[in-house]
Amino acid sequence: MSSGTSYRYQDRDTVVHRLNPFAKLAWVAAVMLLAVIFDHPLYLIMLFLSTLPVIALARAWREWASLMRFMLWMSLAIVLINALVIYQGSHVLLEFTFEIPTLGQPKITLEAIAFGLGMALRLVTIVSAFVALNFTVHPDDMMQAMLKLRLPYKSVLATSMSLRFFPALVDDRERISDVQRTRGMELDRGGLLQRARNGGAVLVPLLSNSLDRAVQIAEAMEARAFGAYKRRTAFSEITLSGWDRLLAVAGLLPLPVGIYLRCLGYGKYRYYPSLQRLDPGMAGWLALAVLAALLLAILPLAWFRKRWQLD
Amino acid sequence: MISIENLSFYYADEKRPALNGIDLEIGDGEFVLVTGASGSGKSSLARCLNGLIPHFYGGRLGGRVTVDGLDVSLHAPKEMATRVGMVFQDPENQLVTADVEREIAFGMENLALPRQEIAKRLEEALDTVGIAALRKRQLHTLSGGEKQKVAIASVLALKPEVLVLDEPTSELDPQGAEEVLATVQRLNDELGMTVVLVEHRLERVVHLVDRLIVLSAGRVIADGRPGQVLERQYDRLCRAGVGIPPLIRLVHGLQERGVPVTGAPLTVKEGRRLLERVYTGIGGFPAVGDARGGAGDPVIETENLWYAYKHPYAALKGIDLSIGRGEFVAVMGRNAAGKTTLVKHFIGLLKPSRGRVRVNGLDIVKTTVAELARHVGYVFQDPNDHLFAETVEEEVATTLRGLGFSDVHRRVGEVLEQFDLTPYARQYPRFLSGGQKQRVALATVLAARPQVLILDEPTRGMDQQLKDYLMRFLCEYRDGGNTVIIVTHDVEMVAEYAQRVILLGEGKIVVDGDRRQVLSRALLFSPQINRVFQGFARLGVPQEILTPEEALQLLRH
Repeated sequence: MSSGTSYRYQDRDTVVHRLNPFAKLAWVAAVMLLAVIFDHPLYLIMLFLSTLPVIALARAWREWASLMRFMLWMSLAIVLINALVIYQGSHVLLEFTFEIPTLGQPKITLEAIAFGLGMALRLVTIVSAFVALNFTVHPDDMMQAMLKLRLPYKSVLATSMSLRFFPALVDDRERISDVQRTRGMELDRGGLLQRARNGGAVLVPLLSNSLDRAVQIAEAMEARAFGAYKRRTAFSEITLSGWDRLLAVAGLLPLPVGIYLRCLGYGKYRYYPSLQRLDPGMAGWLALAVLAALLLAILPLAWFRKRWQLD
Repeated sequence: MISIENLSFYYADEKRPALNGIDLEIGDGEFVLVTGASGSGKSSLARCLNGLIPHFYGGRLGGRVTVDGLDVSLHAPKEMATRVGMVFQDPENQLVTADVEREIAFGMENLALPRQEIAKRLEEALDTVGIAALRKRQLHTLSGGEKQKVAIASVLALKPEVLVLDEPTSELDPQGAEEVLATVQRLNDELGMTVVLVEHRLERVVHLVDRLIVLSAGRVIADGRPGQVLERQYDRLCRAGVGIPPLIRLVHGLQERGVPVTGAPLTVKEGRRLLERVYTGIGGFPAVGDARGGAGDPVIETENLWYAYKHPYAALKGIDLSIGRGEFVAVMGRNAAGKTTLVKHFIGLLKPSRGRVRVNGLDIVKTTVAELARHVGYVFQDPNDHLFAETVEEEVATTLRGLGFSDVHRRVGEVLEQFDLTPYARQYPRFLSGGQKQRVALATVLAARPQVLILDEPTRGMDQQLKDYLMRFLCEYRDGGNTVIIVTHDVEMVAEYAQRVILLGEGKIVVDGDRRQVLSRALLFSPQINRVFQGFARLGVPQEILTPEEALQLLRH
């Protein structure tokens, strides 16, 4: 992750930011789960594309781009590993002459590469949806939403605090990297062993600083009566108006529809032994269009909600 | 009321007590300052007042501490929270939520107060501390001083009777520190709140408090009105490693020379009143001059240096300067003035957006950090960021190998000897004491024998002993023909040791010159002694006086 990008939540006060957290939670959950249940690359591409207008409206491009740069490397690794390890598929692009025990004679097939690409696309879609959620919901609102969903307080607090201190961790890492660079370590050069050693030079101070921080925070919480009573009160609670409920339902709606379509047999895709045709057929395109329309419906609704609020 | 009877405390696995036989009574409404060198037990004492010791830290506690009749060894911190409010050192690491209102509400939520009560107390707390304007802000957008005020407000909302602050200003710049202390003073003055303040920089706070308690090795070695303690127990405090404010040092020096002055002035006003008579009617003062020679050949040169972290907001705007061999330079200025940004260019950690930086004639754009590190050493503020190796020896050797030296073994031996670290050569560096860690961090940097040494806020959080040690070392190092560049807020230290001051503001050089020109007759950046003598202009006293030693020399003839 490149320097200069702050991973802190910023209230940019856009339509997406003002949307209530439940609606966003529902929508992002729908996208993520749909990305898991559908195999067809066209469906995955559609899901990925549907996250882009949300990110654009939320003006979260910087954070998105910086995470996507990282995801590009991840994707490359997924495709590479899949191609090198899976030898199924009928279109052999490259065949080696030696044999690896238990795996057999290595060969690289078109199908294995395509399958890797499909998996990478799925992962990228999930991360992209996560960006739409994480950089547009105030961390404390996220916590309140989790609590409202009846998740246990302590786990919710721990999660929300680890997210809150993540930016501090990024700052720490940058500072410690600077220290070690002035001691002659070139952190992104050298062989694997050297890199591992240099990584340790950043990791050890980073971890032990984090432990110190954890103790200090625990101490400060204790001093402010944390855990004094079994039930604590909540100063701010998320109130849901009728509209907000409707938005949350609208956000989740693509999920049951998607599941229904999947049960009907849409959105399946076969990679092995040879790639299936991409064209899903007339009915398949129609199902795809319906899902896309449902996913994007949240945006005009959110827009309407915003104007409605301003009146 | 706080009452402490024969209190002793051992941290788990420690053989030496952190606190040893302490007896104290602190009355309602008192403003008490607890001070002492690092490791004297002052923070431990603070943690006994709300039960963090022994409930959070474990260890063995002897004797009795009661606050408002409650024995802390029987009541956990979460029960004590409504009686004792505690504010910690690091503003970053005591805030739990992400914005101001929720942060203040956090403690009240824990107490399960009804929502209306929370809303009411929230308003009160915001107004009492004077941060109502910040209520909707995100915590990470606040300055250090503002964060500390939020921490204070969040504690006040629990309506404690006692406020305990453990070095609340040591991570702040002078302006932030002043704001926080003014807030605390108001709480004591106007609300009658009992305040226990732990602090090692006396000159900042001593004039605010009713009572000064000095700890050394876990024992109370002095307790009384601040003026009296400083006057009567001067030598004892010095031996305990307490940093004495410059004005008190001057008065003590005068007394030693037989000048009849009595009293311990705590403020500039009191200082002027007391010293005016001493410096009246003498006349013919010797001129104040520096014996130090001029600078040698330039080692660091910048030419129209611009830098922006994020286009188009420039952090440095056209810096032109030249620093010579053998100079001792202090880079000063408000937070975010561009101090650290500037010096990071001197070792290539940042590369100019525009303009040029040369170190020993090398253009930093064409040179790697590792190559520059053979010429320039950079000591970061927190020694913990430096340390990762298994042993002290290995820690130093890593730098040398990284920078491509061949005679690693000999150099390690030499530098460990130089910093008195030979006995610790095989120990795990992170388990050493604060002062020892600081020395290891210095050793890792100086093993390469750089000709330029840059230190970023080196004295922040250091006690007097460690500060003296570091300064002695830096002067020796400079006298060996090397260059020292310090980024700092510590005016008194600069007055005493630096020779040239570069004052930055908004990314530009505001003043660059001899420390006397820059530090005298300035408002915020004048040392205490100078501010006293600014009032004596009509007596013919030179206005360039910066330190107690110089003020004493005026009387020598």
